[in-house]
This record gives sequence, C-alpha cells and structure tokens, in this order.
Amino acid sequence: MNFIDVNDVVKQYDGHLALDHVNLHVPQGCIYGLLGPNGAGKTSLIRIINRITRADSGTVMISGRPLEDKDITNIGYLPEERGLYKKIKVTDEIVYLARLKGMPKQLAVAEMEKWLERFDLTEWRNRKVEELSKGMQQKVQFITTVIHRPQLLIFDEPFSGFDPVNAEQLKREIIELRNEGATILFSTHNMASVEEICEQITLINHSRVVLEGKVGDIKQGYKKNLFVVNVEGGKQVESCDNLYEVVPSDEHKGSLIKLNQGVTLRDTIAYLNEHYTLTGITEQLPSMNEIFIETVQNK
Amino acid sequence: MTLVGKKSFIIMTLLIPFLILIVGSIPVLMAYINSSADTSVTRIAVIDESGKYGAAFKNTPNYRFVIMQGDKKVNAHEFYKNAGESIDAVIVIPANVLDNQQATIYSENTIDQGTISMLTKCLDDTLARAKIASFNDPDLESKIEQSQINAEVKSIKWDEKGDEQEQSAQFASVLGMILSFFIYTFVLSYGAMIMNSVVEEKTNRIVEVIVSSCKPMELMMGKIIGVGLVGLTQFAIWAVLLSIGYLVLGLVAGGAMVATNPEAITAGMNLPGGTDMASSALSDVMTALAGINWLSLLGCFVIYFIGGYLLYASLFAGFGSAVDQASDSSQFTMPIIIIMIIALYAGIACMENPSGPMAVWCSIIPFTSPIVMMVRLPFDVPWWQLLLSIVLLYATALGCIWISARIYRTGILLYGKKRSFKEVLKWIK
Repeated sequence: MNFIDVNDVVKQYDGHLALDHVNLHVPQGCIYGLLGPNGAGKTSLIRIINRITRADSGTVMISGRPLEDKDITNIGYLPEERGLYKKIKVTDEIVYLARLKGMPKQLAVAEMEKWLERFDLTEWRNRKVEELSKGMQQKVQFITTVIHRPQLLIFDEPFSGFDPVNAEQLKREIIELRNEGATILFSTHNMASVEEICEQITLINHSRVVLEGKVGDIKQGYKKNLFVVNVEGGKQVESCDNLYEVVPSDEHKGSLIKLNQGVTLRDTIAYLNEHYTLTGITEQLPSMNEIFIETVQNK
Repeated sequence: MTLVGKKSFIIMTLLIPFLILIVGSIPVLMAYINSSADTSVTRIAVIDESGKYGAAFKNTPNYRFVIMQGDKKVNAHEFYKNAGESIDAVIVIPANVLDNQQATIYSENTIDQGTISMLTKCLDDTLARAKIASFNDPDLESKIEQSQINAEVKSIKWDEKGDEQEQSAQFASVLGMILSFFIYTFVLSYGAMIMNSVVEEKTNRIVEVIVSSCKPMELMMGKIIGVGLVGLTQFAIWAVLLSIGYLVLGLVAGGAMVATNPEAITAGMNLPGGTDMASSALSDVMTALAGINWLSLLGCFVIYFIGGYLLYASLFAGFGSAVDQASDSSQFTMPIIIIMIIALYAGIACMENPSGPMAVWCSIIPFTSPIVMMVRLPFDVPWWQLLLSIVLLYATALGCIWISARIYRTGILLYGKKRSFKEVLKWIK
C-alpha cells in the first residue's frame, strides 16, 4: 500500500510552471528517492507534500485519504537550506521545535536525551547553537527533524555538509528509522547515496516526471548488454563479430564486452568457454549517475 | 521564544525605568547641586560713580560686594591691581546710569553668565524704582502693580443635568498627547521588533522548518500577538517600577531638600509664594482629573491601541517577509514610518483645535486615527465619529492582516534577489 500518493499535481508560480501534472507514489516503509537537476521542481513538490504551499490542482493522499493540516505533525522535514535559531541553547532549540510538532514537553525532553547521546552531543547541550561546528549543527537539525517520530520523513540533501564518518552514521540512522516503520522521501543529487539506500526513485526534469520505478528495475531498463569478463591469466578477450564486441574501457578487472542485438548470454558464455578459461562474468549495469545524466540530457 | 529569554531583553526591561528615572532626575539633581553645593564666593568691588545706586547690590552667600562711594574718581584697573587677591571683579556704575541703563564689569577672569544676570537683575530693580520715583507720583507704584495682569479663562463644562464641572483644557490636551505618544512609540518600536524577527527567521532559514509545522498565518499572528503581549507586559513593568521609583525618589529628594534648605525649593521655582502656587496648580490638576471620564477614555485607549498595533504590526510583518537581509528593510519600512510620522504631526496640530475639520478627518482615517483620536478623546467626541472611526480602524486592520498574510506566505520562502514594492504587491493576488 502506498503511504503517499501525489496525483496529477500542477503548480504555477507567476507564469512559470513548476510542476506539470506530477504523480508520485511512495509505498509504506520505503526509502524513496526524489531526483532531478536544480530547478526541476523537487522543492516545490516537497513543499506541497508538507503543506507549506498548496497545489493549483491535483491531490495529495496520505494512507489513502486526502492530506490534512493535522497530518503535518506526522511529517519530519529537513530542508536543503538548513536553519536553526542561532542564539539559543541546543536543548531549548530541540524541545521548542519538538513541541511545535505537538510533542508533550516531557516526552520531548526524554527523546532528546536519547538522540543527544546517539550523536555525541551531550556535552554540547547547554551551548548556544551558534557555538557549534557546522557538522554538529547539522546533527541538531537532524534530531529536530526526527524527534517526534513522524511516519513520513522528508530529507532534502541530507548528506550535504557531513564528513564521510558522519554521513555514514546518518545513513545508518535513516535506515534504522525506515526499519522502525517510517517512510522516507529523499531528495538529492548525490547518486551514490541513491544507489546505496533508495529502493525506488522518481526523476523529475523540467517540472515533469521523466523516470520512475525501483532502482533495480530502472537499471535493468537502461542496461546496454554490457558484461565484464574475467578469464584465466588475466588476459583480455578478443572481439567476436557474431556475438559481441569488446568495448574499450578503463575497467581494470577484466574485459568489457557488449553483446550484439538478439544474442543470448548463454551462447556467449559457451563461446567464451570454448576459447578461454572463463573465471567470471558479471553484468555491468549503468550507474544511477549515468542514467540521471542520460535522462536529463536526452529529454 | 527567542526574544523573552534573552538576557539583554530582561536587563533592558528592568533597566529602562531606572534610566528614565536617572535621566529625569538629572536636571533636578543638577539644580540642587548648583544651589546647595556651590560654596564659592565671588567678591565684587562696586565703584559707584553715581553715588546713589551702589546699594542695589546686596550680599548673598555666593557674592560679596564692597561698595566704593565718594567723589574721588577711581581708576578701575588700578583699583583691581591694588586689591590683588581680595577682589575678583570690579563693576563700575557710571553717573548717568539711569539714562544710559548701562554699567560695566571688569575682571582678569571671565565673568560667568550667572553673575551677569544676577547683577543685571539687581540693577534693573533699583533703577526701575528710581525711575518711578522720578515721576513724583506717590500712587504710581501701586498703579503699576495693579496693571500687571495675568488673565485666565476658566473652562466649565456642563454635564447633562446642567451641573458645572471645571475642566482644564491644557491638562486635557497634555493627557491626550501623552496617550497618542504612547501609542506611537509602542507601535513603532514593537512593529520594528516584529519586522526584525521576521527577517531574522527568514535569513536564518528556520522559517521553512517552522512553516512545515504550522501555517504561515499562524506564525505571523503568533508573532504579532506574542510581541504585543510582551510589549504590554514590559510597559506594565515599567509603569509599576517608574511609579515606585518616582515615589521613592520624590520622598528622598524632597526630604533632603527640605531638610537642608527649605527655601531652595521655592527659590528654585523662582516664584514668589511658590508653595501656594504649587498647591493651587495641584488642586487644578486634581479637579481636571476628576473632570475626565476615565472609564471611557481608557476604554477607547485600549481599543485604539490594539487596533493601531494590529494594523501597523501586520504591515511590518508582511513587508518584513519580502526582505532578504536586514539592511534592505528600509525600502519597505520608510512608507510605514512616514505615515506614522504624519499621524503624529497631525495629532500635535490637532491639539490646537481638536474639533476642527483636520482633527475630525484624521481621527476617522484608519492610519492616523489611533494617534489623532487620542488627542481628541479628552474633549468629548460625537459618538458617531467615534463609532465610525473604530469600525474603520478594525476593518482596515483586518484588511491589512489579510494582505500581509498573503505577502508573508509568499515572501518568507523567496530568497535571492531584492524585491521591488510593486512586485511585493503582486503577491497579494
């Protein structure tokens, strides 16, 4: 069942069409990637989902019913442009924002303690936000986003500003939140992180959805019949006109071959086994990065 | 949230009454120090060439006069030289002083203004008496005294039953002006505070997090109402602290003055029989206070205060949201502030004629009415004007809130380029 359904949403700003009949279906408990180049309309869509702005037409459904104002307490939003009150204490900031989401104070304080510990911020708790390093501020912002245990989490470029160690921790936390039942909508340009944690994606370009589906399926759809072949002795294989051609590449782990149209892998393996001692053959799927660039540039 | 918790805010709230007290008591304190602590004595030799008017100068605690009379013509400079340290200055009264009305004071030091005016006054009094005497009319003095007229027009108001009630027009205008100044100051300073808070949240980018938790309209109204209540609390604290402070200060200072120099107070006021005058002025104020319908005045004050605050505060919030950096805000605050200043000047002008056409119009037009109506209120305003003005004010305030909410909703999420006034007005659609 889908947790969020965006149906046929249109949004126009001052003569500029920001979203052109956009559809988005986010299954319950999924880590869902919302991709697209700058200015494609991602932020507009996110702002409609968390009810900062309204769609000109179209609907947003949550658990099968129309999204209402009260649902925003069930959403956690980490905007791309991070922002906190700078001049107040870390603990005050977290409790204030948690209470704004409708959390009772005591519960907010209790939850905050857990999170501060988890992110090693306990000794900074009484400092003013402006005294924290940028990375620590990002952690505080992350805590304020998730502290009320929303069922829907929207992260806009969550990894920007984090060093690799902290980014890894953040990734673990995101997966952990998903395992606890949250649905995560995740907007990013960082294709590596998409490959690692997103199960499904929607790619928006020029205000329209141009690609959507499971990451694995999309990759299958974009595959170019490329395989990495390893043969004994680390030798390079020669092209075979009937079956495949060798594609020049900077792949050091073997030879990259592209199967001809209509040729099966089975025939190729049989041929390779005749001529070489085959030690391995792996399909080379396109990276999300390549798919992203290809899709955006072609359409 | 961020405002009240700040140390600076708390300190300011508690400190301002003391600052006002200190600033307010500086002139009193200075006058007191000047009159009591000055033990220096200026010695002045009087070379009286007229032979008559030397007696004009009487010794006081701060001035000693040595009168040199006689036929012998004395050279002022030589005399000064010979006298050495024992004389600070020499005043020469020429023989024809009554006609020329001029005397001259010489010294190697600079003579201060206080000394000169004291000498002038002594001379004036004596010469005036001599002049009167020269007319040879024994009644002249009393005639002059009688023609020193200080007329007063007493203002009596009839109530519905025809009973007489004394009222002081002056007191009423001052009261009205104080009330309108209060509204002006409050609206301007707290309006600016709201604007700063809007700009701060926007430049901080926290506004996007906040509006994902509540509606922009709620955020804006929360800010306006919150800051308004903070301001009222602050004013209440100031009022209480100030009254306590003045009471304490008045008791202490009054006691001290009376104890050290009972005449200093009267002398300081420079009024003959000052105490009588003071007490009669006080009773005037008391009757004037009684002549004012406080309930309706304060009721109207609160109504106009809230209406005016809502109107202007929402404009400040709305236009504040269009600003990207605090330094760009003047483009949008200028028009608002200019309107408020016009209202203040209109209020001052209306003190002269609180029922004139300008006063009536300005007290009905919503942007000026909260300030101008305060000036008019102590002088009974026809009820239909009052009603019309209040209805218009609140309708406009609601309109401004509506417009500002629409500007705010769009403005807070738009970053980047500087917005023009025209562009901002488009967001209202």
